[in-house]
Amino acid sequence: MGFISSAIETLGPAEMVLKAILGSLLGILLLVGFIVLRRWYRGRYFRRKTERTIALRAQWDDIVSGKVPPRNWRFNPLDCDIVESILLDNIEMGTPETLPSLLDCLRKSGLLDMRVCETRAARGWRRRTALIALGRTRAFEAIPPLAEALDSRSRETRIAAVRGLGRIARMDAAIPILERMLTQLDVPEHTLKSALVKCCNLHPSILVNYVERSHGAVRQLLARVLGELASPDLGEELLVLAADPLPEVRGSAARALGRTNTSFTLPALHSLANDPEWFVRLRAVVALGEVENIGKIRTLLHALCDANRYVRQRAAWALARMEPQLEQILEDVVATNDDYALQALISELERSGAIENIVSAMELGPGCGSAQSLRDVVAAARDRVGVNSKALAVAAGAH
Amino acid sequence: MRLFLSISNDTFFVYYLLSNLIYLILLITAIFKNTIHRHRLASLKLELLKASPFTPPITLLVPAHNEESSIVESVRALLSLDYPALEVIVVNDGSSDSTLEKLELAFQLQTARVLYIPDIATAPLRGIYRSPTEPQLLVLDKEAAGCKADAINAGLNAATSPYICVVDADSILEKESLMRIMAGVFSDPSRVVAVGGIVRILNNCTVTNGELKEVRLPKKPIEVLQVIEYLRAFLVGREAWAGFNMLPIISGAFGIFQRDLVKQVGGFRTHAVGEDLDLVIRLHRHLQEEGRPYHINFIPDPTCWTEAPSDLASLARQRARWHKGLIDALWPNRDMLFRPSYGRVGWMVLPYMWIFEFFAPVVELVGYSTIVTAFVLGELSQAFFVQFLLFGYAFATMISIGSVLLEEMTFRRYSDWREVTRLIFYCFFEHFPYRQLTMFWRLQGIWQYLRGDMRWHDVKRVGISTNPTV
Repeated sequence: MGFISSAIETLGPAEMVLKAILGSLLGILLLVGFIVLRRWYRGRYFRRKTERTIALRAQWDDIVSGKVPPRNWRFNPLDCDIVESILLDNIEMGTPETLPSLLDCLRKSGLLDMRVCETRAARGWRRRTALIALGRTRAFEAIPPLAEALDSRSRETRIAAVRGLGRIARMDAAIPILERMLTQLDVPEHTLKSALVKCCNLHPSILVNYVERSHGAVRQLLARVLGELASPDLGEELLVLAADPLPEVRGSAARALGRTNTSFTLPALHSLANDPEWFVRLRAVVALGEVENIGKIRTLLHALCDANRYVRQRAAWALARMEPQLEQILEDVVATNDDYALQALISELERSGAIENIVSAMELGPGCGSAQSLRDVVAAARDRVGVNSKALAVAAGAH
Repeated sequence: MRLFLSISNDTFFVYYLLSNLIYLILLITAIFKNTIHRHRLASLKLELLKASPFTPPITLLVPAHNEESSIVESVRALLSLDYPALEVIVVNDGSSDSTLEKLELAFQLQTARVLYIPDIATAPLRGIYRSPTEPQLLVLDKEAAGCKADAINAGLNAATSPYICVVDADSILEKESLMRIMAGVFSDPSRVVAVGGIVRILNNCTVTNGELKEVRLPKKPIEVLQVIEYLRAFLVGREAWAGFNMLPIISGAFGIFQRDLVKQVGGFRTHAVGEDLDLVIRLHRHLQEEGRPYHINFIPDPTCWTEAPSDLASLARQRARWHKGLIDALWPNRDMLFRPSYGRVGWMVLPYMWIFEFFAPVVELVGYSTIVTAFVLGELSQAFFVQFLLFGYAFATMISIGSVLLEEMTFRRYSDWREVTRLIFYCFFEHFPYRQLTMFWRLQGIWQYLRGDMRWHDVKRVGISTNPTV
């Protein structure tokens, strides 16, 4: 070998490389040994766990009722682990009738206190596991320790705390999250939204107050959650949000309005469908698609001629699902003389499979001049839409 | 001559040492990252993600070229995936077999004059079809452009969801894989622009109705060696690079991307041989140039099972093509090298790809030749020659066994003792003679690239539906 190998030889060549070889071989042996030992240990552990699970399952009712005293299983880590796991699964799947007895078992056995203690004393992943387990208990005592964990310096711990509070799925579990969001809570958006949806599901009105008090990204996030949970009794508050300076909030208000079929739903959505921001218009059109009212047709026809193609497509999607009025809608779209609008609608009718019914209905209809010309326009539009209309499609894409 | 041999041997020695040391660092990083990921998974409940109204829709793009043997089973399996809002777009890329006819028959396809706006130019479409029985399925039939990228772009033009997921037609996704991969997006939707999942080898597994029923290690040694290679590449390489936010590739067989971002960079590069690698590098370039904070992530648990070549000739063609794809992606982006504006991508991962991936077969060939020459000419001490080879072999084998350990610590897909024993046993053959074989095939790839031969060269496959145990 050259310079390096000569240098190695000067330094004690064979010995150095030999050490490296031995080191590598030792590494291989250790890795293989670890794999073998780990497999053996896991096999043994799961065999024991299965045996104990069967034994504990056999006396499950007595464990829950307390006939089998907690000291019989509480001080054996494996048994304790199995019982807790079954209890938490049952709580998650349980009915309001079974819940009190399960919670009672958690409390009397000291499992709940153990988890509360762990969330305060433990660190790292152990603390996070405890936070999630605590959330799964759905017990009101779990809320304070979970709320404390929201102030942790570790982001992972805060995420676990938010997930835990979300699992509790009670309105009072949402309050610590909402309060901290007003100041600062660095947790992924999706985690926050999911937790809030679960906690505020039955009482979305609680969010209105926080939307009003918040600003910027937090306001947008809360409005988005509100948009998912809105109920008819929220009507007027939603009108305020529909006029919000933040486009995201207006978009969420549109989404929420789609779920509240009140007297002002249509006018508000009509106004939002003319918003300067395209995605607010888009959400208004999506919401209109959910509203059961033929009064929306006028707004949707207007949206079908929108400058933005996503808005046009979505308006077409909503119109294509209004089966009884489709012929009239088609006539109105032809009357707009907007080729892109007609393309979008025909395309959606093709996608939904409704086009054949309309064409058949039109062929069976009167043979007067206007009906004939409508048939011709639709036939021509069908030919243009699709793969043969590249130039037109490119032009449409530019809008 | 003596000087040349000396320099060459030194270079090869340092190169080999560095390459293995980097892999050791990647292995340690991957073990660390994997541990964190497993802890995170423990607190994540997929049913909650599935029920969440905030889970965004995904469009699966399935390019299919002469896939008649497996296409129907694959599409059925994709349609039955566990995800709340799914659209499946199959692009028949000018197949000369009965791929389209099989789809037409199985899903009662009907022509649909659906608005198709070619934001990204592709070969002309011949037809768009929808299925009355499967409303979320759309089939595009297009003329062949001779490349997969063109088919993906056609699907991209028709996609309506904010996220797209490219899946090979001959691959099988696990039921929960989309939920799992999207969990990678939910961790930070504003930053995570793309996520890759793991690709595993389907050979010898039991597949029923397009669904994976039983995982088994392949029978042929050549397939088992590929299993080890995949484990090392995904569980070690990609996991670690993603940990440093420098993931250079998301497998073309399974990965999700933000649709609008892919459109912004012009879609998949037509005629790129390695369109997956090329896209990810261009995404890095685009996002770095924009100065936008981003993360291209890898999640090790969402799994895609794919059929690997089971004969040497097919494997040779595949490896030559992969290497051509590598050069084809690196060369147009060579200006990113060592440029401060491209950050760690330009300073670390791209140089690594050039030196330890692209040049690897050349360096190895020259290295092996000069070492043997030096040995024959008596320029090299016999003891040192043997020791050096032994060291290189033992070290690299240790890394391979490390990736088996990682698999054991995490997903344990091969649960049988015999299978794990076989996996470990074959680790001893990965670096001799398998590595030398792949070196030769990669050299063929370089040669083909230099000659301008950019054809795909079909790889022989058994197909999913023809054989229940592929």
